[in-house]
Amino acid sequence: MNDLLGSLFALLVFPGLAFLSTCALAFDWLDRRVIARMQGRVGPPWFQPLADLIKLLAKEDILPTGANETVAAVLPMVSLASVLTAALYVPVGGRVAASFEGDLIVVLFLLSIPALAYFLAGWVTVGVYSVLGGNRSLLQYFSYEVPFLMALSTPAILNSSWSIAEISARQLTWGLFTLPLGFILALVGLIGKLKRDPLDIPKAKSEVVAGALTEFSGRKLALWHLAMSMQTVVGIFLLVNLFLGGSKAIFLAVPPPLAPVIFGLKALTILVLLSTFSVLYARLRIDQLARLGWRVLAPLALVQILVTVWMGG
Amino acid sequence: MPRYNWPLLPEILRTLFNRPITVQYPFGPLEMPERYRGRVDIQAEKCRGCGLCVRDCPASALELERVDKETFRLIYHPDRCAYCGQCEESCRFDSIYLTNDFVPGTPHRENLTTVLVDRKPEEGEESGGDDEPA
Amino acid sequence: MTRVTIPIGPQHPLLKEPLSFLLTVEGEEVMESVLRLGYVHRGIERLCQERTYVQNIPLIERVCGICSHVHTTTYCQGVEALSGLEVPPRGLYLRALMCEMERIHSHLLWLGVLSKNMGFDTIFMYAWRDREIVLDIMEELSGGRVSHAVNVVGGVRIDLDEEHARSILTRFDVLEQQVERALELIEYEPTLMARTQGVGILSPEQVRRYCVVGPVARASGVDIDLRRDLPRPPYDRLEFKVITHPAGDVWARTLVRVRETRESLHLCRQIIAQLPDGPTSVTAKRRVPEGEVVSRSEAPRGEVIYYIRSDDSDKPARLKIRTPTMTALITLPDQLRGATMADVPVVLSGVDLCIACADR
Ligand code: SF4
Ligand code: SF4
Repeated sequence: MNDLLGSLFALLVFPGLAFLSTCALAFDWLDRRVIARMQGRVGPPWFQPLADLIKLLAKEDILPTGANETVAAVLPMVSLASVLTAALYVPVGGRVAASFEGDLIVVLFLLSIPALAYFLAGWVTVGVYSVLGGNRSLLQYFSYEVPFLMALSTPAILNSSWSIAEISARQLTWGLFTLPLGFILALVGLIGKLKRDPLDIPKAKSEVVAGALTEFSGRKLALWHLAMSMQTVVGIFLLVNLFLGGSKAIFLAVPPPLAPVIFGLKALTILVLLSTFSVLYARLRIDQLARLGWRVLAPLALVQILVTVWMGG
Repeated sequence: MPRYNWPLLPEILRTLFNRPITVQYPFGPLEMPERYRGRVDIQAEKCRGCGLCVRDCPASALELERVDKETFRLIYHPDRCAYCGQCEESCRFDSIYLTNDFVPGTPHRENLTTVLVDRKPEEGEESGGDDEPA
Repeated sequence: MTRVTIPIGPQHPLLKEPLSFLLTVEGEEVMESVLRLGYVHRGIERLCQERTYVQNIPLIERVCGICSHVHTTTYCQGVEALSGLEVPPRGLYLRALMCEMERIHSHLLWLGVLSKNMGFDTIFMYAWRDREIVLDIMEELSGGRVSHAVNVVGGVRIDLDEEHARSILTRFDVLEQQVERALELIEYEPTLMARTQGVGILSPEQVRRYCVVGPVARASGVDIDLRRDLPRPPYDRLEFKVITHPAGDVWARTLVRVRETRESLHLCRQIIAQLPDGPTSVTAKRRVPEGEVVSRSEAPRGEVIYYIRSDDSDKPARLKIRTPTMTALITLPDQLRGATMADVPVVLSGVDLCIACADR
């Protein structure tokens, strides 16, 4: 009974739905605010992401004729569910809902489900822009995913564990310092995964309108947005755990009550880094991204893995 | 000049720590420059009802109901006005002019119409001009 | 690969004005494109025949929402030539001042639109922020941000006093700094260069065949600029360089436009420094004697031509406007052939779309 309650709590409250959606909205707002300030604008008020969500939830839900209604309805839920499940294995502020040796692989797998769902979403909703956006998302997936996976495996190799909680706990010096290249690659990979500027190729507004999600509206779109923002949160948390030593400070031993604060600060740092990247560059073309992924990022990741193996051995 | 990868970064940081330049318009004041071409107004006592402004208005925003030299009404429809300032340019008696009042939107355009001059013989002073009706 | 037809417009996030492109796409590559115009045709030329010369000025100002002043300038030049009016020098200088400021504002606006369309929101925001400086100056001078209502037949309505001139000059300093920064960006920003270089290439031959004018032509190495080639006062007494670039791609157009912005700033300074004394306008008669005239001037987007035929009444008998954008628009199918979908926004914004003035 207690076990069941515990799992329910983990799924629905912490680090599950409630916590993640709050974080998602907060991060979303912060991101928009920071970007706005960097561009000399004011940015939205704090409740804007929530208001957007509610507005979308209240809107009429329509799909074009010929679209597969069931699949279109299931896809955003699948992405949301996989992100939520992934969140269970990612420690937040020193606490983790579930953990086993090898959960890093599971999390990475779960985190790539939304990308595939996104691609399918483009195909089942038949619009030209949707299909084009879907195709692009798949191409993008192939470009960033390999370096991303390789980069994320380096801390695992270094700390000889494939459990996120373990890696986070075992890091004496941050992965950022031992594996600087791996961190940068992971960051770039994360940008690609989250389809953020400057790698928002699949949903480039001026090219393919809204990409695979063009034909979505109302509740389904709201779910998509929520899933995407949650993916941002989980991705950032993952990076904090793997490369920034989780909730540990560099030199000081942190008293447990402070752990979430440290963790939050680190997460925000990564968020601001992501925002800076989106302000700093123009959107790449898909062929440029593919070239970047395979000619630059993947070889670099390989180098980092070799160095890690050598360092570890 | 060096070829570096993020020439935008200094500007971004500068902007980040400066005040945003957005004017929070409905919540804050909006200063209109002195010459801003806004709502049309008139110095009614100077108007002779010659209709020059009416003739040159490109948007038919002015209307003259003229009975004779001493009895006329000059009516202004801001909803049609293009704020071009032509009436001010055309008036030979320095009577009509553009203020710098910003005209905000309204769902009731019929309420906008104003009568600029309503001249009746008894209250109007003698107009001795040789001006011709349009 | 299957061919898909993708509509761009008449409503599309890329376009700020209605225009329709039907792209036939194979994968990401554009095979063919069909251009359709006319969504914002307002019949301005015909309307002009119905209205007096005076009433036409505000109407013509609305041919284009961006370079409104140069249109009225060209029109007034024509009418003045027909009625044999001599505009006082101060009027001419002030006209040119507005023209140059308008060029600055138009080019910065364009830089913003291009960046926005290639997903570089930051430059978009910065360019439009800096553009606000000239817009403010123009608003103070004329009372309107984009419809200035400065020109009258016979001169200008505005005047510039000493103190105002000084305040304008100090703000130009800020603007100049920003333009220098923008130039640096264009020359060194790696992603911007990656997106614009080698995209939408027009050869000088194509430029001549399609009669392309303005910065697009100059960015293909065709050295034309009416301000120099047909020097009217005050341009005959001002010093400026005509910027050209041989590359012919969107990047070259960016560079040419931003360098031109710098030149325009330089011109504005000279105009303010040399501003002669005297009246700003002369009174014009309402009736224009019979005749016909072709009036040309260099708009931000290139040469704009007005043909006016008068018949000794107060209304033009015929008025024909040729806007520079039209020539650039018809090169688009050529530029798009073989480009990828991702290049479409860059190419389309590269020519500085102004559909309102192409359709009139
Ligand atoms: S400002 Fe122009 S449009 Fe308005 S009333 Fe005067 S002439 Fe007519
Ligand atoms: S032109 Fe002047 S005097 Fe004549 S009607 Fe208009 S406002 Fe009155």
